[in-house]
Amino acid sequence: MTFQPSKQVYSGKIRELTLGTGDKAVKIGGKSVYSFHSFEGGTPNAPRIAMEVWDKDPSADWPEAARSPFAGVLGDPGAWARKCVEYGAEMIVVQTKSADPNSENMPAAEVAAAVKKVVDAVDVPVIVWGVANHEKDTEVMRLVAEQCTGKRVGLCPVEEGDYKQIGAACLGYKHVAVASSPIDVNLAKQLNILLGNLGVSSDDLIIDPTTGGLGYGLEYTYSVIERIMQAALTQEDEKLQQPIIVNVANETWKSKEANLTSEEAPELGDAAKRAVLMEAITAVDLLIAGADVVVLRHPDTVKLVGNYISKMM
Amino acid sequence: MKLLGENLNIMSVKYGAALKSRDAKPLQELARQQANAGMDWIDLNIGPAGKTGEELMNWLVPVIEEVTEVPLALDTSNVKAIAAGLKASKRQRPLINSIMVRPERMEALLPLAAEHDAEFVGLLWGPEGMPRDENERGALCAELVYKATGEYGIKPERIYIDPIQTPVNVQQNQIMSVLEFMKMFEDIAPGCRSTIGLSNVSNGPPEHLRPILNQVMLIIWKRHGLYSAIVDTFDTKLHEIARGQHKNLETLVHKVEDGEAIDMASLTPEEVKYVKTAKVILGHALYSDSWLEI
Repeated sequence: MTFQPSKQVYSGKIRELTLGTGDKAVKIGGKSVYSFHSFEGGTPNAPRIAMEVWDKDPSADWPEAARSPFAGVLGDPGAWARKCVEYGAEMIVVQTKSADPNSENMPAAEVAAAVKKVVDAVDVPVIVWGVANHEKDTEVMRLVAEQCTGKRVGLCPVEEGDYKQIGAACLGYKHVAVASSPIDVNLAKQLNILLGNLGVSSDDLIIDPTTGGLGYGLEYTYSVIERIMQAALTQEDEKLQQPIIVNVANETWKSKEANLTSEEAPELGDAAKRAVLMEAITAVDLLIAGADVVVLRHPDTVKLVGNYISKMM
Repeated sequence: MKLLGENLNIMSVKYGAALKSRDAKPLQELARQQANAGMDWIDLNIGPAGKTGEELMNWLVPVIEEVTEVPLALDTSNVKAIAAGLKASKRQRPLINSIMVRPERMEALLPLAAEHDAEFVGLLWGPEGMPRDENERGALCAELVYKATGEYGIKPERIYIDPIQTPVNVQQNQIMSVLEFMKMFEDIAPGCRSTIGLSNVSNGPPEHLRPILNQVMLIIWKRHGLYSAIVDTFDTKLHEIARGQHKNLETLVHKVEDGEAIDMASLTPEEVKYVKTAKVILGHALYSDSWLEI
């Protein structure tokens, strides 16, 4: 008797949606099998790699390993974004760090202007990632939505506390909502239902399950994504059949281990390699769980993860 | 199914205040309501109750026994309070609620149960907290029953095993584990009874939607042979279900559990709600607060 591998029975499909416009618009999602299960069925779009750009110079906060690939552009979001595209970014995530009321608390108009610079500087799609402060994000996202009309950007995070405001901005200007829930599959589903009730189409909706980096809750995010995929693909849960984005860069690079120098922690090995590998491992794990877009910081990670994806597809 | 009324609870705003101020009246009124609702026990949940627990239980038991003959359940982790309650009772021996499967809890409370010939709830909460699956539940159950019957000579029918109810919105998979445990229960603990803190299934979901979750959960436990449950005294429909007065709803929920095809178009709006709720409890669909609307 010949060996017959057991086959998963699928009954659902992740929706395919488009970010950006023109030649460099990117399609995400669309799979009808678990990640990389090419032996079981179709995955029309490979997972995508986004790179992050901050709207303020992060030099003071970033370790040398993260700064050096971007020497000369960290103070200029547009130039930084172009650099990312050179490094292979298929999308750009603008982190609006300067808007944080607990930090610089820059006025919304200035934050939106910086975002606009990035959107104008590159032709790949842009996702705008706020600071998870409902009032400030609402203020910034409204302006961004208006000023980026026609660009089909992603707005994130859309949370239970501000989904009406930011959801409305997405609706009004035809952008994509990135619904963010705190590592909880039931709350992820509920937020999608609420956005649906508001009128946001499931063709304009991405899930951000909230990312825990390696050593800081990675396995929780993994489990939540895994459960979303099970519900979406095998239980026909149509409220969860949305593409998933994971904010890997921000979560891995802020960890203590990614920031200790080789001298401070010789037992943890070379600092530059260590941080890149932490980022790559987090990204690859979450891709296996079911993520459709990974947000990365370092070009070496982009290479590693890009190679992994091309080998697995 | 036998029912323990859960409402006399230190966490309740009204009755918590009455307990703290030793105000007998509202508590006696509640006890009368619980008796009228047909509760088989009245649970006296005084919380951990620290230093005052002994005195509080000593006061509370006669206060309640003055107005009803319904047996009491002494619900506290305070060993001295339980001892005080057992001594203070002049009617049928109260039920001890509960004894965890932790060495120090068993050694403190099993002798009391034996000495007073009191029934007790054996909570399957081990030294490492809540069991992770049905096998850990089985192991804890066996350990407790072996110790209680073997070392203390307590009869199996005096033991009410509580396999722990978890909320559907955060730990639905644990409900499945309890279902599996219930299939093994007769073999692991022959002659023992069972109970569960039913309302915890809806702890977290919107307040007005709690009854249907509790009701469907009860139907499922009932089918799996649960002997009793700790329930909301004021959910009349729940009591009717426990007493077998809604066989149509039970049949419907059983169909969901058995994976039978259900023609939703042929159901009444109420029946649709029961089917949807059974699906989220049993994990056929993922729970969300809007589960009845989709």
